[in-house]
Amino acid sequence: MAILANKNTRVLVQGITGMQATFHTKRSIEGGTKIIAGVSPKHGGETHLDVPVFNTVADAVREMQVDASVLFVPAMAVKSAVREAVEAQIKLIVSIAQGVPVHDMLEIRAMLKSSNTLMIGPNTPGVITPQEARLGIFPENIHHKGCIGVVSRSSTLTYEAVLETNRAGFGQSTVVGLGDDMIIGSDFTDMLSRFMDDDETKAIVMLGKADNSYEQMAAAYYKGLARKKPVIAFIAGASLPFGYNMGYAFDIITHGHVTVNDKKEIMKDAGIIVVDRMSQIHEVLQSLSL
Amino acid sequence: MNIHEYQAKKILAQYGIVVPDGGIAYTPAEAKRVAQKLSSRGPWMLKSQIQSGARAGGHFITHDAGGRGGIRQVTQITNIPYETAQMLNNTLVTEQTGPQGKLVTKVYVEKFEEARHLFYAGMIIDSTVPAITLLISDVINEDILKIAYRKRDSILRIRLRFDVGIDNEQIMQILDFLTLDKSYAPAFRDFFGKLLFTFINLDALMIEINPVGILPDKKLIALDAKISFDNNALFRHPDIAKMFDVYEYDSRTLRAMNCGFRYNEFDGNIGCIVNGSGLALEAMDLIKEAGMATACSLNIRGGVDKDKIADGIKLIMTNPRVEGILINILGGFLRCNLIAEGILIASQDVGLNMPLIIRFEGTNREEAKNILLQSKLPIIFADTINEAVYQLGEQMKDND
Repeated sequence: MAILANKNTRVLVQGITGMQATFHTKRSIEGGTKIIAGVSPKHGGETHLDVPVFNTVADAVREMQVDASVLFVPAMAVKSAVREAVEAQIKLIVSIAQGVPVHDMLEIRAMLKSSNTLMIGPNTPGVITPQEARLGIFPENIHHKGCIGVVSRSSTLTYEAVLETNRAGFGQSTVVGLGDDMIIGSDFTDMLSRFMDDDETKAIVMLGKADNSYEQMAAAYYKGLARKKPVIAFIAGASLPFGYNMGYAFDIITHGHVTVNDKKEIMKDAGIIVVDRMSQIHEVLQSLSL
Repeated sequence: MNIHEYQAKKILAQYGIVVPDGGIAYTPAEAKRVAQKLSSRGPWMLKSQIQSGARAGGHFITHDAGGRGGIRQVTQITNIPYETAQMLNNTLVTEQTGPQGKLVTKVYVEKFEEARHLFYAGMIIDSTVPAITLLISDVINEDILKIAYRKRDSILRIRLRFDVGIDNEQIMQILDFLTLDKSYAPAFRDFFGKLLFTFINLDALMIEINPVGILPDKKLIALDAKISFDNNALFRHPDIAKMFDVYEYDSRTLRAMNCGFRYNEFDGNIGCIVNGSGLALEAMDLIKEAGMATACSLNIRGGVDKDKIADGIKLIMTNPRVEGILINILGGFLRCNLIAEGILIASQDVGLNMPLIIRFEGTNREEAKNILLQSKLPIIFADTINEAVYQLGEQMKDND
């Protein structure tokens, strides 16, 4: 089953005619992802990568059923692209670009709150269900179909986690990059609950960072679950100076959490298996009877 | 991006917030002229303009400053040139500048305002909710981060809705917290309404007024001001982008910025080159675990040419504190071979005379390795980050 996207997910690409969008969409199509259309202002009516291009998302959904949209639009255009997708009631948005203004994200989160749309990103490599759907820029050659769900707050560390699941002899059910930015569309809790409900997923690898309280929220959620699948977590940034960057400092001020080690303790207390090194992930996975 | 106090106050004044009258001075004589223009008699405030806090408690190091800090109250007009001369072109070290301090190139001269009640007000973004959050505290002239850590309950936190603003109930909460009666409500509503409007309109990430003062007529006045803006939104605010002050950054950070990379300094002797903030953190954590410490970290992103990458690598190679280099690249959008070519150019330009351990993974990894193997540079390759850090540790031992 996987989560968020599978081989039947009908995917739209916003900003499809751009260079990066073209490069990655082509690879996704070759890998079997059901890319059905693209959006690019002033290119409506054209065909790009053998799929129809529309001027607006509204035009696209009028003519075809769309389940998910990948945004390859530049950071400054993300807000309006999200608005279009939300208004067209598309269920899933994956936004790739880095550098979306923080205040735009405040508005986007307000938009999402009053909608049925889920947003992954921004500043994410995307979502990949190996051999079924690739929404974003993940290198597909390292991914293998399997039973481990991966959810990460750090783009590049995601690849490292995927390699660890491979090393353990398991593949991935779905890999979700939540995004590196200070404010993101969805957090760990939502993804954990989806993985808990997914038959294919037997264990979850979760990669966190120093700067937000998303990990603590996920721990609270996990602690309250009656039936749970194993979650293995790694949190980067234990060596960072206190309050090192703005996101980190803001979180200390507003939520009072202190260090990465405190975070780890909270997660351990919730029953999450916390590793101190990424390279321990495959050992832990192998020790579980999956 | 941060701006100076005098610039922040000018912006706040444009949004209708009361600030003391003031003017900027680049010379002692100019400071005197500004002071005379502001008021026929003192006291005046002389404030060193650097983008770091705790200026009053700081000290100057490059020439004698008479033992006083970076913010001074002066009562006699005749003393203004003398006091200004002690601060100008002198390096001010505060709790927040680091030991190297920052050069004071301009002094802001203000009319002293007699305020009754002083308190801290800050506005930041709580990214977890997410919401703009107003911070109020009775503790003034202290780093809010330290207050949050040590005296968590001495900060009142109020979540604001950017589409609604601040409501009456929230105003009453603030007044209660500061033990003020409700006759102050109109002034508070006005002040914080304007502050929120400024925050939203200018894509601010943080505004700090430390302290806010209450004037005899119950109006609020911003006695200090600090604003940080979202770099990703500066395209909407060209006037603010122009306020970028190169003197606030060291040359390496500036050069990294010009390449589009993020560069951070710490206090160790290992230089790290990675692509991704998570990788940077992981490398730092492992280096620390292995008993070493990071000197600096360069976060390279894709979409740039090999010359930019070479420039970035040179920043690490030429950092006098760096005695060993760790490169960890997970090639995706950024191809490993570009990094290899960058290393070649950098080594040719500045010479590689220290241990360099590389771990390549992902796009064009073999090609990258071959390029460097052919160059005969003394580089050690590792297959995993753990192995790379181990190798680095061994090399550093040999070097001792």
